[in-house]
Amino acid sequence: MKEFPLGNAALAMLVVMVLSIGATLLVPAAATAGKPDLVMAIFSPEHVAAYRPVVERFEKENGCRVQLQLVDQKALQDRLQSSLQVGADVPDIVELLGGTLGIFTQARVEDVKLLDLTDRVESDRLKERVVESRFGRWTSRGRIFALPHDVHPVMLAYRRDLCERLGIDVAKLTTWDKFVAVGRTLKDHHLPDDVVGRHYMIDLPYDGSELLKLLLLQRGGLLFDSNGRVTFDSEAAVDLLCWYARQTRGDNLVGYSAGGGQSFSKSLIDGLCLFYVCPDWRTRQFESDAPSVAGKIALMPMPAWEEGGRRTSTWGGSGLAITRRCKKPDLAWKLAMALYYDPASVAARFPETNILPPVKAAWAYPPFDRSSGYFSGQAIGRSFADLAADVPRDYDSAFTSQASNKLVEAFANIAIYYSANGEVGLHDFAAGELHRCADQVRRLMGRNAFLTTASAEAAR
Amino acid sequence: MSQAPSEIAIVPTPQLAATGVGPHRRRLQMGGEGVAGYLFLSPYLLVTAMFFLVPLAWASVLAFYQTNGPSSRVFVGWSNFKFVLGDTDFYVAVRNTAVFAAASVLIQLPLSLGLAMLLSSKDGRAKNLFRLIIFLPNLVGQVFVGVLFSILFTPTYGLFNRLLQALTGWGLDQRWLDNPSLVMPAVIIASLWLYVGFNMVYFLAALQNVDQSLVEACRMDGASPLRTFWTVTVPAIIPVATFVVVTSTIGSLQLFELPYTLLQEHGGGYGPKNSGLTIVGYLYQYAFRNGDLGTGAAVGWLLTLLILIVSVVQIRASNLFGSTK
Repeated sequence: MKEFPLGNAALAMLVVMVLSIGATLLVPAAATAGKPDLVMAIFSPEHVAAYRPVVERFEKENGCRVQLQLVDQKALQDRLQSSLQVGADVPDIVELLGGTLGIFTQARVEDVKLLDLTDRVESDRLKERVVESRFGRWTSRGRIFALPHDVHPVMLAYRRDLCERLGIDVAKLTTWDKFVAVGRTLKDHHLPDDVVGRHYMIDLPYDGSELLKLLLLQRGGLLFDSNGRVTFDSEAAVDLLCWYARQTRGDNLVGYSAGGGQSFSKSLIDGLCLFYVCPDWRTRQFESDAPSVAGKIALMPMPAWEEGGRRTSTWGGSGLAITRRCKKPDLAWKLAMALYYDPASVAARFPETNILPPVKAAWAYPPFDRSSGYFSGQAIGRSFADLAADVPRDYDSAFTSQASNKLVEAFANIAIYYSANGEVGLHDFAAGELHRCADQVRRLMGRNAFLTTASAEAAR
Repeated sequence: MSQAPSEIAIVPTPQLAATGVGPHRRRLQMGGEGVAGYLFLSPYLLVTAMFFLVPLAWASVLAFYQTNGPSSRVFVGWSNFKFVLGDTDFYVAVRNTAVFAAASVLIQLPLSLGLAMLLSSKDGRAKNLFRLIIFLPNLVGQVFVGVLFSILFTPTYGLFNRLLQALTGWGLDQRWLDNPSLVMPAVIIASLWLYVGFNMVYFLAALQNVDQSLVEACRMDGASPLRTFWTVTVPAIIPVATFVVVTSTIGSLQLFELPYTLLQEHGGGYGPKNSGLTIVGYLYQYAFRNGDLGTGAAVGWLLTLLILIVSVVQIRASNLFGSTK
C-alpha cells in the first residue's frame, strides 16, 4: 500500500478533520428527526418539577410532544437575547424573570421577537380572571408580551415565640412608624436565654438592594412609569431612602442585615432579627433553611406607610412568553393556559411551591386554607391571597437593572451623608443624589439609538 | 536568483540509495516538508486568526457602532468613546482598578518576595510543604475565591471577622462588602490569598540564580544583610522582578471575576457606590448586560491603550533602575 505523501501524522489529522465535519453535519440532522412539537425553556427547577405532570397530561390530551428544558436564568436570558437578535434557533416558549422583559422589547413593537399576546389575552378575558395589576410588568407600549406566573404578595415573617416573650403585640404594628417605635425599645430588652448580644427588629439589607424597590412600590413609587420614563427620583423615593438610612445607620437603628444562606438561617434561629420581609416564594426558603424553628414563626401583613394604607408589596416573579419563531402558537397558548391558568391544576401545585397563582378562581380550592405547621398553624395561602388585590402595579424597562443599581448607589451616598451629618440637610441631599442618579439613567437611555424609536412610539 | 528548495539537485548517496527512495520522491519530500510544516501549524494559525485576529479587527470596527446584540447596529462614529470618557462611572472604575494595581505591586509583590526569601533558605525541613500550601490557593481560581471570601467576610458570623475579633478585639460587625471604603481592601485581601503564592514561585526561581559567592563575599566584607540584599540580590532578580511587576500590573488592570463574584449580593453587583467596579466590569456591564457591544469594544480599546502605556513606563523604569545598579 502506498504511503500518504505527508506522513502518518498528517493523515491522522486529516481523518480526524473529516470525522469532525461529518459528525457536525450528521448530528443536527439526527436531532431534527425527533424534534418535539413545543420546546419550553425554564430557569427554575421547582417550576420544571411542578409542570411535568401537567405537561404529561397535556401531551396525552393533545397528541403532541413537549420538551421542558431547564436553563440557568442568566444563561437563558443572554442566550435568548442573542439568539433572537441573530435569528438563531430559540425555544417556542420561555419563562422570563420579572424585570427582564425590557431587554427583549428594545425595538419597535412590530420588531419585538416575542409574540404579541394582547389580542389573545383580551379574547380569553384573562384580565378578569387574573390579578390585573400583574400584567403591568409584562407590558410594553400597551402591548402584552408575556403572561404573569405569580402575584408574589409580601408579608412579614416573624419569630412569634420571641415576640410574645418580648411583649410585642404584632396586631398593633399597623404602620411603619409604630413598628420602628417598638423596634427602638429592643436595644435594652434582653431575654435570659438569649444567644445574641441584642435583638434587632427587622432584617434590612445594609445596602438596601431589593428591599428599596419593594418598599418604594408599597409607598406608591416606581422605577419607571407605564411609558418607560425614569421616575425613581420622586418625592416618595426621597422620603423612603431617608427613612431607610435612619433604620440601618446610627444609634437609633432598628434593622440589621442578616445576609443570605447560612448567615440568614443563623440569624433566624438565634433570633438576631425578629422580623423578615417574606414574599410567598420565600416561605419555602424559611422551611428548608431553618427547620428547627418550625412552629415558632408566623406571618403578618407589612405595616403601612400611613394608617389604613397598603399593607403589602411585591418581590420577584416570572412570566411566560411565546417566541415569534414558534411554529404552533395556538398549541403554545393552549399549553400556557394549562400551566398557568387552570384553577384546579395551579391550586393542586400550591403546596409544592407556596407560590400564589394569579388566577383568582384557584384561591377557592382547599390547599389555600390548609394550615401550615411551620407557620404556627396559619393558612398561609389564604393570608397571601387576601393581600393579592393590593399588590402594587409595576412596570419594566430595558434599563431596569441600571435603574435598580443607581437607586442603590444613591442610597449608599445618602447613608454616608446621614452617618456623618444626621438629619441636617438630609432631605435636600437625598433629593439631589436621586436626581443625579436618575439623570445618569436618562442619559444612558437617551443615547440608545434602538430605544429612541421605541420611546418615540410610546410617547405617541 | 536563488533556487527554490524543492529544486535543489540531490546527489544520491549510497545510504540514500539503500532506502530505495528515488530522486523524484525526495524532491516531493523536500517541497512537502515546507507544506507539511504549514499544515502542522495550521490549527494554531486558524485558531489564532479566528479567535484573536478577526475579533481584534472586528472590535476596531464595532467601537464605532452602537449595537443591540450581535446583529443590529448603527454607526455612531466617536460617540462611544465620547460617552465613556464623559461617564463618571468609567472614572470610578479606572480609580478602583488603579488602586488594585498599585496594591498588587506595592503589597502583593513584596510579600511574595519576602515569602520566597524565607522559603529559599537552606535550613527548614518543611519548606517544600509550605511552598505547596502557599501556592495551592492559586489552583482554585478567582471565582472560587470570590464566593469563598463573600462567606468569610460575613458580619458577625463570618470566619474572617471572628478571627479579627479574636486577634484584635475589633471587627466582628465590620461590613467589608457593604462599606464603600472597605470594599477594595476586601478585594485586595482576597487577591493576596490567591496570588502571593503564585508570584512567590517566580521569585523562588529568581533567587536560585543569585550568585552565592557574591553573597558570601559581601558577608565576609562585613556588609549587613540589608546591604547584601540591596547590592547583590536585587540586581540579580531584576529581570524576573520586571516580568512579575509587568504581568501583575496587566493582570490587575484586567481584574473582573474576583470582585464580580465577591460582590454579587452587594450594591447591585459592584459594591456600594460602585466601589468594586473595575474597567473590565464596566466593559462587561455595557457589552453583555446592556447588549451594546460597540461601547464595550470602545472600553476594550481604552483599556488596551492604558495597559500599553503602563507596561512601557514600567519596563523603561526597570531598565533605568537596572542600569544604575
